[in-house]
Amino acid sequence: MFYSPVITNAAEAAKSDRLHLFKYVEDPDQDKLDTFVKHGGYAAWRKVLDGMKPDEVIAEVKTSGPRGRGGAGFPTGMKWGFIPKDSPKPRYLCCNADESEPGTCKDRVLMERDPHGVIEGMAIASYAIGCHLMFIYIRGEFFFCAQQIEAAMKEAYAKGYLGKNIFGSGYDLEMIVHTGGGAYICGEETALLNSIEGHRGMSRIRPPFPAIEGLYACPTIVNNVESLASVPHIINRGGEWYKTLGTEKSCGSKIFSLSGHVKRPGNYEVELGFSLKKLIYDEAYGGGILGDKKLKGVIPGGSSTPFLLPDMIDVNLDYESLVEKGSMLGSGAVIVFHEDTCIVWVIKKLIHFYRHESCGKCTPCREGTGWLEKIINRIEAGQGKPGDLEKIDDICNNIMGRTICPLGDAAVMPIQSSLKLFRDEWQYHIEHGKCMVKSDFSFG
Amino acid sequence: MILTEDSVNKIKEKAKQYPRMKSAILPALTIAYQQVGHVDPVIYEEISSIIRIPALEIAEAATFYTMFHKKPRGKYLIQVCHNISCSLMGADSLISYLENKLGIIKGETTDDDIFTLVTVECLGSCATAPMMQINEIFYENLTPEKVDQILEELKNKD
Amino acid sequence: MTEDVKTKEQAKPEVPMVSFTIDGRQESVPKGTTVLEAAKELGIHIPTFCWHPKLKSVGSCRMCYVEIEKWPKLAVSCATEVMPDMVVFTNSEKVKQGRKAILEFILANHPLDCPTCDKGGECDLQNLTFAHGIDDNRFDFQKNRFTSSTEGTTFDDKRIGPEIILNRNRCILCYKCVRANKEAFGEYDLGVYERGNIAEINSAPGKQVTNPFSGNLVQICPVGALTGADWRYKIRVWLTKTSPSICNFSSSGANILFYKDENKNKIHRVTARRNDAIDDGWIPDITRYGYQIVGSDERLKTPLIKKEGKQVEATWDEALDLIAKKLNEINEKKGRVCIGGMAAPHIDNAGLYSFSKLFRTVFKNNNVDHRSNYRMLPKEAGSHYITLCNRKFRISDIDDSDVIVIFGSDLLKEHHNLYLRIRKAYNFNNSRIFSVNPYSMKSSDVSEAELVYNVGTDEVLVNAIGLAAIEMELVDNTIGQKFKEKIIHKTLSEASGVCGVDEDLIKLIARAIANSKKISFICGELFSRSLARDNISSAILNINKLFGIENKGQIIALARYANSCGANKMAILPNPSKAVVDKLTELWGEYPEAEPKNTDAMLALMRKEEINGALIMGMNPIMMYPDRQFVTEGLERLDFLIACDMFETETTEIADVVLPMSSWAEYPGSYVNQEGILQTVPAAVKKLHQSKSPFEIVKCIAEKLEAQLFESDEQLNNEIEQLLSINDSDILPDEFLKVKFNPEEIEDDYLIPLFIGDDPHHSGYLTQKSNSLNNFRSEAYLELSPELAQKLGIEGGESVRVESPVGKIIVPTIISDYLDNDVVFIPRNFSTTPVTSLLMRKHRIDRVKISRVDE
Ligand SMILES: Cc1cc2nc3c(=O)[nH]c(=O)nc-3n(C[C@H](O)[C@H](O)[C@H](O)COP(=O)(O)O)c2cc1C
Ligand code: SF4
Ligand code: FES
Repeated sequence: MFYSPVITNAAEAAKSDRLHLFKYVEDPDQDKLDTFVKHGGYAAWRKVLDGMKPDEVIAEVKTSGPRGRGGAGFPTGMKWGFIPKDSPKPRYLCCNADESEPGTCKDRVLMERDPHGVIEGMAIASYAIGCHLMFIYIRGEFFFCAQQIEAAMKEAYAKGYLGKNIFGSGYDLEMIVHTGGGAYICGEETALLNSIEGHRGMSRIRPPFPAIEGLYACPTIVNNVESLASVPHIINRGGEWYKTLGTEKSCGSKIFSLSGHVKRPGNYEVELGFSLKKLIYDEAYGGGILGDKKLKGVIPGGSSTPFLLPDMIDVNLDYESLVEKGSMLGSGAVIVFHEDTCIVWVIKKLIHFYRHESCGKCTPCREGTGWLEKIINRIEAGQGKPGDLEKIDDICNNIMGRTICPLGDAAVMPIQSSLKLFRDEWQYHIEHGKCMVKSDFSFG
Repeated sequence: MILTEDSVNKIKEKAKQYPRMKSAILPALTIAYQQVGHVDPVIYEEISSIIRIPALEIAEAATFYTMFHKKPRGKYLIQVCHNISCSLMGADSLISYLENKLGIIKGETTDDDIFTLVTVECLGSCATAPMMQINEIFYENLTPEKVDQILEELKNKD
Repeated sequence: MTEDVKTKEQAKPEVPMVSFTIDGRQESVPKGTTVLEAAKELGIHIPTFCWHPKLKSVGSCRMCYVEIEKWPKLAVSCATEVMPDMVVFTNSEKVKQGRKAILEFILANHPLDCPTCDKGGECDLQNLTFAHGIDDNRFDFQKNRFTSSTEGTTFDDKRIGPEIILNRNRCILCYKCVRANKEAFGEYDLGVYERGNIAEINSAPGKQVTNPFSGNLVQICPVGALTGADWRYKIRVWLTKTSPSICNFSSSGANILFYKDENKNKIHRVTARRNDAIDDGWIPDITRYGYQIVGSDERLKTPLIKKEGKQVEATWDEALDLIAKKLNEINEKKGRVCIGGMAAPHIDNAGLYSFSKLFRTVFKNNNVDHRSNYRMLPKEAGSHYITLCNRKFRISDIDDSDVIVIFGSDLLKEHHNLYLRIRKAYNFNNSRIFSVNPYSMKSSDVSEAELVYNVGTDEVLVNAIGLAAIEMELVDNTIGQKFKEKIIHKTLSEASGVCGVDEDLIKLIARAIANSKKISFICGELFSRSLARDNISSAILNINKLFGIENKGQIIALARYANSCGANKMAILPNPSKAVVDKLTELWGEYPEAEPKNTDAMLALMRKEEINGALIMGMNPIMMYPDRQFVTEGLERLDFLIACDMFETETTEIADVVLPMSSWAEYPGSYVNQEGILQTVPAAVKKLHQSKSPFEIVKCIAEKLEAQLFESDEQLNNEIEQLLSINDSDILPDEFLKVKFNPEEIEDDYLIPLFIGDDPHHSGYLTQKSNSLNNFRSEAYLELSPELAQKLGIEGGESVRVESPVGKIIVPTIISDYLDNDVVFIPRNFSTTPVTSLLMRKHRIDRVKISRVDE
C-alpha cells in the first residue's frame, strides 16, 4: 500500500515559520520515529512529561484557543477543561479519525505521512486530562492509515514514548487502534463511542456529555486528528505564538481539502482567514476552475454546509466570516463546481449519502431523509410535481433542529441552501422535466 | 470452524486490549472479514464463541456497518466512490466504464468470481478523484488507462 | 394489608426540589425528574412511542416534544431534566406542529391496515393519529414493504417466536422491544439489523424469541408490529371486559389483568397490571400464558367415582355421600388420626384455612401439609429454617441495594420477577451482584463474581464467608471467635478447600457484605429443597449476626408458590408456631393433641397402613414428591383416597373419588405473596363445568359429615384476618448456632449431581396444560454443560439414559448456554418424564449416571 497521491503545499509549509502541520509531510521518512524526532517530534511530549502539570497543558491550549477541526469548531482547551477533576473513574481520549464527511481528506494525509505527530498530540491531550488509555478510531476503509498508525505506535512503545512509566515520569499511557466498519455516523462523537463499545454506531442523547459520561460511561474527550496534531506545536512554541496565527477570533492554521472542479485539487495548510478565492484560483493552490469554465458554486466546509455563490467567494476562510456569508467552516472541505453542474443532481448525490448514512435512531432523520431522497430522485428524473419544492422545504424544516445528532441538520442544510440560492434551477427541473445543464462528467 | 487459528489468535489478542470484551466485536468482525471476504451468521456464532458475546449483538453490529459484505463476493471487491467530489470528477462514467469492461452491473460479480463491483460513499479521496478501492488498496486519480492497467494486473496476478 | 411488613427502611437521602412552570402552572418536582415524568405526575399528557417507564430514555421517536422558553429547539421531554425556573409548554402551536410532523414521518411508511391489524383499538399510533387529526398523507410513494413469502403466514407476518408474530411493515422502530429484551431481561434473541430507514427488528439469526419474558415484548409494542399468537384474531379488544387478578404460578403475586369474553365465559388474554412494588410491570410468560389452563379442554368436568376398579362420572351428591360414608367407616374402624390431608399452596386462604379447620376440628388430627416437593420436612416447629423463612423483606428494596447476594437459587427458573429486579438493580443502581451457587447461573452476566461451590457444601461456603471476614478483621474479633466455636472448619483456607471456592473470591464477597450500605441477601430453592436446609439455615443466621446483615438490609428466604406464605399462616402445616396454635385454640375453643404428621410422615404411615384415608387437594405428590415409588406405594395402600384437582393427574388416577376443582380465575380469593403482602382478587369467570372452589369442596365435605365449619362468611373472613395478623417473625437466636457438616458419601457408580426444578416456562405440573407454554417447551430434557457433554460423548439433542440407585429414565439432552460444570438439570414439569422416580428421599444430593441410549 502506498501514500495517497494527493497534492499538498508541503513545500510552502517547509519554508514557512508559521505553517507547521504540513512541514514534513513530503518527507518519505517522516513516518519513522527517528526522522520524526530529528524534525523536532516528541519534544513537546518530553517537555510536558518533564515538568508541566496537566492543568498547565490545558491552560496553554486554552490561551491559544484553537477550535476543533472535526467540524463543530468547539474550543479544544475549553472542552478538556470539562473533564471532572474529582471523578474516581478512568478517563479516556478518543482521537476521531473517522474522516467521512464528503469532501474531507485531510486527516488521512496526516495519519499516512506523519503518524507520530498524531500520536504525540494524542499523548499530550491524554496527559492533560489524566487519561491512561487512549483510542484512535480510524474509519475501517483506511487500512493504510491504520497500518501507519499501528507501526508508529509500535515504534513509540518500543522506544518508550508510550507504555508504562514513560521517561521515568511515573505516567503510564496505553493506546488502542480501533478501526470502524463503514458508517459516516461513527464520526459523530457519541456514535463513535458506541462503536468502540461494540454497540451499533448510533448517537446518544446529550446530556450527559462525553466529558462527563463518555466511553464506558467514564469522562471522555473526543478530538479530531487535526485538532490533536496541532497540540504539540502549541506546546513547543507556546499558546501565545499559536494565537498569532490566523485571525483574532479564528486562530491557528488549518488544512483545507480542495476538491471538485479545480485544476489542482489537494490539501492545503493555510492560516485561518485565508482568502477562499485565492485558494481556488491561485496557481499555488487550486489553480482555477477546470477547463477555465465559469464557477457555479462552492461548498466551503464539507458536504454538510450551505453553498456559496460565485459572488460570495470573496470571503476569508475563518469561522466567523463564513457564518456571515450564511455558511460554515465545518471540516474545511471546499468543494467547487462549475457551470455544467446541475444543482439537483448535486443534491441527489448528497441526499442519497445522508439517507444511506442515517443511523435510523430518530424518526425525522430516518424517515425524512428517505422521503427527501424519493422526491429529489423524482425531480431529477424529470418527474417532479408542482408543490414538490414546498414539500421538500417543509420536510427539511421538520428535520432541522429536531434530531439527536446533527446528521439530520447536515442533511438538510445544503438542500435548503440550494433551494434558496438556486430555486429557478429546481423550478426549471420540475417544469421542463429536465436539467438546465447536464452533469455529464467524464473521468481521466 | 471457518476462522483459522491465526484469526482466532488475532481476535483474542485484540480483545485483550480493551477494558470490556464487547469492544472486541468490531475488531473481530474486521479480522474475520479480512480472512473470509464476507461475514454471515455462521461467522457471528464463531466470533461469539471466541469473545463470549451473544451472537445477536455481533449480528446487530455487523449489519449496521456497510464495509463487511454479508455474502460471498469475488476475489477482488471493486468499490467505487460515487459521492459528490468523485462524481464531479466523473465517478458515474467510471462506473459505466467498469460495468462495460467487466460485463456486469454494479452489485454483481463476474462469472469467474474474480471481480465484484459496488459503489460506496465517500472514502476520503476527494482531492484525488475519481477513485476506487479494491480490497484494501485505494486507487486514485483514475483514468481509463489506469483502470485498464490495474484490472489487467490483478487478473494476471494468479 | 393486614400487617406492617416493611423492612427496616434506610433513611433515604433528601432529594432537593426544583421549581418550574409547566403550562402556566408553578410546580416543583424532585431534582432529576424528567419533564415527561413531571408532566405525568401532574396529570399532563404528553404522547410517547419510545419511552417506557422501566427503561432508560433514548429520546429517539421524538414524539414527546415540548417547548421550553429560551430554548431554540423543541426538546424531547423524556430525556430533558427539569431545571430550576424552566418554563415548559406542552401544548403550544410549535409543539403541536412538531408532533404532527413526527406522526407524518412515522405514517409515511406505515401500512394503513388497521382493519386487519390485531392492535386495532389499543394502538398508540392509531390513537395519536386520530387525536392529531392527520388526514392528508403527503407521502405519495409506495411504502417500504418487507415481504415474507418464504417465512410468512399472511399479510407479511413472520413468526419470530412460539408466541410472537412480527410484521416489520408496521414497526416504527421505537426499539422498545429490543431494549426491554436486553436491558430488562438480559436476553439476546431479538435484535435490530441494518440501519437507517431499512433497519429492521428480527429474532437472532436462525433463532426464535423463546426467552421466558417474551410476552412482554408484545405488550409494550406501541403498534401492531409484534402481536401475540395466543390472542390475535380471536376477538377485538373492545369486545372484551377486563378483570384484575394475580399470578397463580409464582410466589411473587405478579399483578395481571384478564381479558375475557363474558358471553362465552372465556378468558382470551392476560396482560401485566403494573404494580411497582411487586412486579415492576413485567410478567414472565408463565404468568401471561398460564391462564390457558383455565379454559383447557382437559379440565375435569364432573366428579368421578371408582366403581369396580374404574373411575366413572358421578354427581356431586353421589361423590359426597360416598366420601362421608367412607370417612365415617375409617373413623369407626381406626379413628380420625388415620385420615391424612394435603392441600396445595396455590389455593386461596379461605380454601386452605377451611381445610385446616376441617382436619383439626372435625378429624381432630394434625395431618395437614402443603409441602409436596421438599424432602424430609422438619417435624418440629421453630426450626431454624422456619426462623429464616420468617425474615421480613421487600422485593422492591432490592432496587437500591448496593450489594446483592444470590445464594442457592436459580432465579430464572423459579423466581422470574426477582430475577428481573436484580437486573434492574444492576442496570439502574450499579448494584454489585454475587451469585453463590452449586452451579453457574444465567444471571452470571450481571454478577461481579460467581462463586460456584462443591455440591453439598452449602454451609461450608457460608461459614467461609464469615471466616474470611474474621481473617480480614472486618468484624469484631470477640464476636468472630464465638462464631468460630460453632463451626467445624476453623480457617478460611480449610473451608475454601472443602467448598472448592477460591479464597480470593470468598474474601471479595466478605468485603462486599461488610462494606455494603444496603444489602439484600437472597436464599432460594436450591437450599430450601435440601435435606440439610436446617443446618444451612443456621449458617446463614450466623453470618446474619456476624455481619449484622439485617441491620443494614434484608435476608430474603424465598417461598415458592402463589400462596406458600398464606399456607403457613393458615396453618397448613402439621406444626404451626406457638402463636398460631394459641390463636387457633382461642378461635376454635379446642386444638387437637394428635401427633403432627408432615407429608413425609403421612406417606410413610400410609405404607404401613396406619393412615387409611386421605384428602389431597390441588396437589400431585406422585409427580412432585421425591421418590415416586415410595409415594405411589403409600397412596395405593390407602383404603380411600379423595383427590381434588383441575385435571386428571398421576394422583387422581388412583383415587377412589375425584372432585373437579375450580382454578383461581373462577373464584374470589385472597393470597399472601412471599413478602407477606395480602392481595384479594375477584373471580374473572364463572366456575367452569361442575367444578367447585376449594373452600366449597371443604364446606360440602364438612356438611356431609354433619359439621359446620363456619356460621357465616363473616366468621370465615374474621378468622382468616386474625390469623393473618399474627406476627411471629421477630424471633432470632441469641447465640451463634451450631453448624454441623457431614461430607456426603458418594456411590462409585453415581457421580453426577442431578438438580430438579422448574423449566423457565413451566411451574409445577399444571402448566403442561397451557398450549402456549407448551409451544416453548413440552417435554423434559437433561441440561448439561458443553464440557460434560464432551466428556460423556453426548451430542445436544441426543437422548440419554439417566439412572439413579432407585430409578431410570430416558430423556433428550440440551447443551446449556451457561452451565459450566459437571452438574445436570432436569425439569420436573412433564408427566411424560417421571423424574422424581430418580430421587431418593434420604439423600442430600441426588446423583446419577448417564449413558448414551445405544450403549
Ligand atoms: C454526522 C457527523 C459526522 C462527523 N464526522 C466527523 C469526522 O469524521 N471526523 C471528526 O473529526 N469529526 C466528525 N464529527 C464531529 C464530531 O462529532 C466531534 O465534534 C469532533 O470529533 C470533535 O473534535 P474536535 O473538537 O477536535 O473537532 C462529525 C459530526 C457529525 C454530526
Ligand atoms: S439525526 Fe439521524 S444519524 Fe443522528 S442520531 Fe438521529 S437518526 Fe441517527
Ligand atoms: S418518548 Fe421522548 S423521544 Fe420517544
